[in-house]
This record gives sequence, C-alpha cells and structure tokens, in this order.
Amino acid sequence: MNLTLPRFFWSEYRKRRKKASLITFALFWGTLSILLLMAFGQGLTTQFQVAFSGLGDTLIMVSGGQTSLEFEGLPKGRPISLYPEDVDYLKERIPEIMRIAPESYNSFQVSANGKEINRTVHGTTPEFALMRTQIPQMGGRFLNSDDVAKGRKVAFIGWKVAKDLFGAEDPVGKQIVIERIPFAVIGVLQKKIQDSMYNGPDADQIYLPFYSFRQIDNRRRINRIHIQPYDASQSKLIEARVRTLLGRKYRFNPDDRYATSFWNTIENNKEGMAIFKGIEIFLGIIGALTLLIGAVGVTNLMYAVAKERTKEIGIKLAIGARRRVIVEQFFLETLFVFAKGTFWGFILAFNLVHLIRLAPINYDSFGIEAYLLRPVFSLQIFVAYMAILGILVFLSGIFPALRASRSNPIESLRYE
Amino acid sequence: MIELRGITKVYQTGSQTLEALRGVSLKIKRGEFISIMGPSGSGKSTLMNIIGCLDTPTAGEYALDGDRVAGLTFDQLAVVRNRKIGFVFQNFNLLPYATAWENVELPMLFDGKNARKRKERITELMNAVGLIDWRDHRPSELSGGQQQRIALARALANDPPILLADEPTGNLDSRSGEEIMVILTQLWKDGRTIVMVTHNDHISAHSQRIIRLFDGMVQS
Repeated sequence: MNLTLPRFFWSEYRKRRKKASLITFALFWGTLSILLLMAFGQGLTTQFQVAFSGLGDTLIMVSGGQTSLEFEGLPKGRPISLYPEDVDYLKERIPEIMRIAPESYNSFQVSANGKEINRTVHGTTPEFALMRTQIPQMGGRFLNSDDVAKGRKVAFIGWKVAKDLFGAEDPVGKQIVIERIPFAVIGVLQKKIQDSMYNGPDADQIYLPFYSFRQIDNRRRINRIHIQPYDASQSKLIEARVRTLLGRKYRFNPDDRYATSFWNTIENNKEGMAIFKGIEIFLGIIGALTLLIGAVGVTNLMYAVAKERTKEIGIKLAIGARRRVIVEQFFLETLFVFAKGTFWGFILAFNLVHLIRLAPINYDSFGIEAYLLRPVFSLQIFVAYMAILGILVFLSGIFPALRASRSNPIESLRYE
Repeated sequence: MIELRGITKVYQTGSQTLEALRGVSLKIKRGEFISIMGPSGSGKSTLMNIIGCLDTPTAGEYALDGDRVAGLTFDQLAVVRNRKIGFVFQNFNLLPYATAWENVELPMLFDGKNARKRKERITELMNAVGLIDWRDHRPSELSGGQQQRIALARALANDPPILLADEPTGNLDSRSGEEIMVILTQLWKDGRTIVMVTHNDHISAHSQRIIRLFDGMVQS
C-alpha cells in the first residue's frame, strides 16, 4: 500500500489541527454529555426496578380479612383468618403455584450482647427466601427445611438488627434471646434497596423457622401466605382460584374483596413497569433531542470548515488531484476527528460512570443517591449514538468535498 | 498541439445569460509563446481556463495533442492538468498552510512520484527560482514575487510541455514581474509552449504572437 498520500494528508491535518480541535472538542463534549445523560437515565430506571423487586420477585401475598357480604346465611363482618394447613391446601389444588410459604409475625423484645431492642420477628419456611429476595451475606445462610422440621433455635436477621445488636462484629454463630429463648444467628441479610414493605424494611426484621416461632407465639393463625407462580402471567388466575378455594373452605363469597386481602406485586409491577417505560421514553426523547442539538452544532461546524476549504480543493484539482484523492483526504480527516472526539468522550464517560458507581449508598435510609449513584453504561446506546452521529458527521464533512470535486475546478478556485 | 474550434462559453446567472466566448477558434503550435490580450471582460481568463481544462466550453471543439478534451473523464482531465499543463495564476493560488517545499511537491504527490525523485526535482526547481533557502517558509512569509516563483516551480514540477500563465505579473512590482518574465522566456527557449494572459503591452512583448480578444471573439 502506498502511504505517501495518507502521510501527506496527516501532515496537512497537523497544520490545521487548531481549527479541527474545535470540532474534536464538540464531538468529545457531545459524546460525554449524551453518554452520561443516558447512563444516569438507565441507572435510574434500573435502580427503580431493583428497589421494586426488593420486596420480592413475582409475588402474591394473601392475608385474612373481614367479610363484607352475607354468604349462605352467614352474616357479614365475620373475621377470616388463615392457618398453616392452608399452605398445603392451596398448593395441592392450584398446580400453577411454584412456591408457597406461610408467614407469622409479631413484635418482641430481642436482646443480645447486653443490648435490647424491639423488633418484628417472623416465622416462615425456606421458600420465603427465594420469593422475598432474602439473600444472606457471605458466611451465612437463610433457614433450611431441617431448621423448620426440627424446630431449631436459629435466626436469620436483617443487617440493621445485626448492627444494632452486634455493631461491627460478625453476628453469625452468636446468640440472640427472644422471650427468654436463645436463638443462634445463622445469617445476616445482604444489603438491598427496598421501596415496598410491611412492618418496615427487611433490614429490621428477624426470621425464625416456622415451628420455632410457634414456641414464642402460640397463636394458631398465620399472618400471610406468600405465593409465587410458575408464570407471572397466571397471577390473576391464581388470585381468583385462591379466593374461590378459601371462600369454599371458610364459607365466604369469592367476590367479597374484604374477606381476604391480596397484595399482587406482579400486577403492581406492571404499573411500575409502565412508569419505568415512561421514564425510559422520556429520557430517550431528551437524549434524542440533545443528540439532535449536538449533531446540528457539530455538522454545522464540520460543514463550515469543509466549505471553507473549497478553494483549497480547487487548487488541488487544478494541479492534478483526482476526485478520489480529494474525497479520501476529507474522509480520513473526518474519520480521525470523529474517532478522536468520540473516543475521549467515551473514555471519560465510561470511567466517570464506573467511578460514580464506586460511591457508597446509604442502605439504612436510602434516598435520592440510591437512584443516582448507580448509572449504567449502555453499549447499545453508545453504538446507536455512534451510528447516528457518525452518519451526520460524515455527510457534513465529506459533502462539500464531494460537491466541489464533481464540479469544474474553476468553480472551486473562484470560491472565496 | 492546442486546437480550438468555435468555442463558446455561456454563463447563466438567474435569468441573465452572459456569453463570455463567442465562437473562438485558434491553433497554438508546440513551442510557441502566445500572449492573449484584451480589455476586462473580453473572455481572456475564460479562454485560458478552457485551454487549461479547468473549465468546459458550452459548445465547440477543443483538441489537445490531437485528443478531444470533451471525451475525457474527470480523472483523465486531472491527469492532463497534472502532467501536460502547468498553471501560474495572478493570485498565486498556493496552499496557505503548506511550506514552499510542500507546495512544489504537491503535483508530484498526485502523480505518485517516489520520495527520492520528488526531493531531487524540488531541489532543482527551488534552486532554479532562487528560493531553496526559503523552502520551509509558508506563503504568508514570502513576498509576492517569491510566491509567484514558488507557484512557477510548482507549475514545472511534473515537467509539463505547456505552461499557462494568467496575468503572472499582475500582482507584482515591476522588478519582480520582470524576474518572472525572464524565467518564462527561458522556459520557452527551453522548448515549452507558453500561453499567457496579460493586459500589459510591455509584458506581451516577450511573446512571439499576440491573440487579441474583444467581446468574446478573436479580433486578431
């Protein structure tokens, strides 16, 4: 390959680089701004979703209530409670259920390490962890089936409980005392963002094996049943079948909305997803408009600089440059300026995003920083940005050269 | 060598039509030194641009070395301008950001000459125009006369048989103009065909033959 001309183009570019530096900077700044804007937007949406799933993943929660309709001669106003055997009753009759777990809870004084605090203590089964995003920190675990079956005196605690009782110490293996019964801590909940909750965030909760909990709270009724379907699209169907089955068992009208209470996170999620989609579209529009403004600025600049060089093109054509040489030179220069500007914009945006992600989030009282300090760098957005801007920049950078190289040299020579 | 028959050039600006050349026919033989003269607007530069393949006629036939120029492609015309014709413009038309050396080098780069040949030729030409010591200067650092000598060196870079000079002394003081004419005359004596546009009778006196244009037509 003959590199004489590319070398010459490079030497010409170097002489004009002060003029080109304005375009390079515009490309750098545009790339940086768009990528950061989109990264923060993407991060915001992702964090909303993370916070939304902090309570649980595709979860239906059922709890008892009070009838509001008369049914088969029974008066309205009857309390309806759920019992541990309802878990198997529902599981056996609704094949669409993948996981199901009972949950009982009550407030207790909890002491350890010479400290005493009041917290909500729950009794449940291992399936609960899988449905309620109960991920243990390293070195610990959640309750298992043996813990439940054997009524082991073990406890899984939220990270704030751990901090309140044990400070910086590792609580795993240590004991907490509830109602004068000692429980060994087997795991601590990993920190998470949670924007939906009952009885406060999971960070403040203590979980015991279901039958161990019965030893400190001997009420037979349970507070909730957690259900996870195989397929999220079947949540409404499951909800209807649960109402029908419980209605048949406890004799209430299945259409009675107050006899039982449902918290269908799948349906709530659909609404949430619509909001996230709205945010995404909004940010997409802002990004597109910003890109458009940036592209208009950059292309204008590129066009003006290229147009300014019409006479130079005329001189080159007059002394024997072929059309290909002119177009090649403008193409290579545009390519170089585009690559240089966008490369540094990309590098800075990429590193800033990763640097910002290192900032700690206060999980104890997560606020706006929990949503803003986790920007997500999207390669897809970067590729789309490069494609759109690239086309515009190349058109504006090469078009004057193409036009000039297609006309008689004298027309370009006369250009002032 | 250069043969023009019934050359017409019409410029259309909006609804206005301007006939710059009206049926110009002329023959220039190899090795001739021709001056084209005429008042402003007579079509001298238009004729020169057509001879130099910088512009195309609206009608008429132009043959260069027996080849019909109208039949050549854009790139074939570029090769003609690169190898057969050297241009010297009134306003020099040097690349402002390139050095004197680089300006002279450009036609050879477009011709694909290797670095050694380019270096030898540029050195020879810069010495011939007496500006070898100014090789690294940009046009803005040179006087008008020096710029025109660089432009002349550039025109000769690929050793073209034809040299076209459009008012080559128009922007120069009389001494610099005279220096340029000495070089042009020497180039003619060395066998080149020189076609020069000028207003100046004293300058045209260097040529063998004068073609006078008036109102787009050859007067004599």
